[in-house]
Amino acid sequence: MAAFPNAQLPTRKYGLGFALSGEALKYFKYWILAAVLLSFLGPLVLSRSSDIDLSTWFYTANVAKWFTAFIGGGFIASLVPTMIAAGLTRRELSVAHGVFGLLWSAAIGVLVIAGLLVERAYYDAMGWAQGVQGDDSVIAIGSWGETAAFASVYPLMYLVYFAAGVVVGAASYRWEGTGWLILVPILPVVFSLDNAVYNTEPFGPAWAGVFGRFIDEWGTGLVLIGIAVVTLVLVVAAHRIIIDIPLRSKKA
Amino acid sequence: MSFAVTLRDVTLKYRDTDALADVNLDLEAGKIYGLLGRNGAGKTSLLSLIAAFRKPTAGEVFVDGEPVWENAPIVSRIALIREGGDFDDTETVKSTIETGQIRPAFDTEYALHLADRFELPLKKRIRELSRGKRSILAAICGLAARAELTMFDEVHLGMDAPTRDAFYKELLAEYMDRPHTVVLSTHLIDEVANYLESVVIVDRGRILRHEEVEVFQNMGATLTGPAAAVDELAASHDVLAEQQLGGTKSITVAAAVDPGTRERAAAAGIEIGPVGLQDLFIHLTEPNRKGA
Repeated sequence: MAAFPNAQLPTRKYGLGFALSGEALKYFKYWILAAVLLSFLGPLVLSRSSDIDLSTWFYTANVAKWFTAFIGGGFIASLVPTMIAAGLTRRELSVAHGVFGLLWSAAIGVLVIAGLLVERAYYDAMGWAQGVQGDDSVIAIGSWGETAAFASVYPLMYLVYFAAGVVVGAASYRWEGTGWLILVPILPVVFSLDNAVYNTEPFGPAWAGVFGRFIDEWGTGLVLIGIAVVTLVLVVAAHRIIIDIPLRSKKA
Repeated sequence: MSFAVTLRDVTLKYRDTDALADVNLDLEAGKIYGLLGRNGAGKTSLLSLIAAFRKPTAGEVFVDGEPVWENAPIVSRIALIREGGDFDDTETVKSTIETGQIRPAFDTEYALHLADRFELPLKKRIRELSRGKRSILAAICGLAARAELTMFDEVHLGMDAPTRDAFYKELLAEYMDRPHTVVLSTHLIDEVANYLESVVIVDRGRILRHEEVEVFQNMGATLTGPAAAVDELAASHDVLAEQQLGGTKSITVAAAVDPGTRERAAAAGIEIGPVGLQDLFIHLTEPNRKGA
């Protein structure tokens, strides 16, 4: 874990949140760099054999959602025993992880927004079309403004996936062997809302979009409000699971 | 400054099983305690409650007069080090040590000094460490925490004898330098007996005994001398242990020696010594024994 030379008690939870974000970005810097390079070089390679009409960054952005969920869940599952044993309270850990989630989602969100905008210029320069795979056909993202609007939802998407990951990670630690089953209600809700933001091909297990039929007609604004509400519910649920989580006994 | 500990009517259940039942315990500040108990007696559960690793099912745990649960100023100054340590196995030794800096009083310089002394490879990942090295790292993190209440739960199990000896000496030096409350939970009773000021024996989820070491030592005696004379003198007592080498025999009895017996022992050439803590512990926690 990160160094935070002799933290001060009242502020250490925030310091830890910042340190976690910095460390996570540092730890995964080569992964992130590889994703960025692949997103720009991939279409260049593909253009030699076929027309480019799909945004590569759209796929990168979607992979980053699942990655973010694993970050949220994986980190909390390993931080609960190490940090509580190091003298942190559960409330402090919960706040620190909240700060981490906000900063991580913002950082990856900004990267993806920048990626989509740069890609827009790149595709324009190369004479390619920046589109996404719709339910039936490829849909062009549209003007610069539409590209920016299209990209701007990602920080919120990362936040909801992060929160979902934290709930699953915390539950998995708390209820060893069965806690992961909390995925069953969470995954369909989050994934269905995610799919409803745009009429695009689901990026993940299609069966998990089971609630899509009820929310596909809501309109983007309402769906985004729904995502914000679900994020809030997941944050409260994660806090509730963490706040009295017992440390497991050590196995010999 | 060091922390006192108070448990009031504390019960901890794991599903339907009582790990601890109606425990009342007071630990004074600034002393070195031994926590003894058979496997599954409830030692680790007791320490977990004091360190707020778990919440009691019933009752209250106070440290330094305050409820310990979710109390940042208190838990940041308590260190419970469990065997093998609570580490992220993917981290390096160095970054594991640095994690301790979340405690305001953590002494990184001291931790690195100890790591050097105990030859811990700072760049190695935790999962690559041997059990012994892992135990050493746990002990170092506990010592460098500079906590007001430090508890070691079988932390030295993986260490070899010379390392354990060095650890005890370091623990004592740190204690002399900075008096604080220390609890050593261990099965290696005789090894730590000389360091302890007070002993708590846990048995089947309850506090069986809590006394000063001297009190325990006076609860029995070791009679050493000519075999026949020792046998005769010990005949009317509960025998805890016996050893014989040639014509010399040593018997540990579970009773204080009265002046009359002392006189008879002296006349028969028998020496009377204190009872070994381990022998007494075995006797007191004998499953068939009734009462304390």
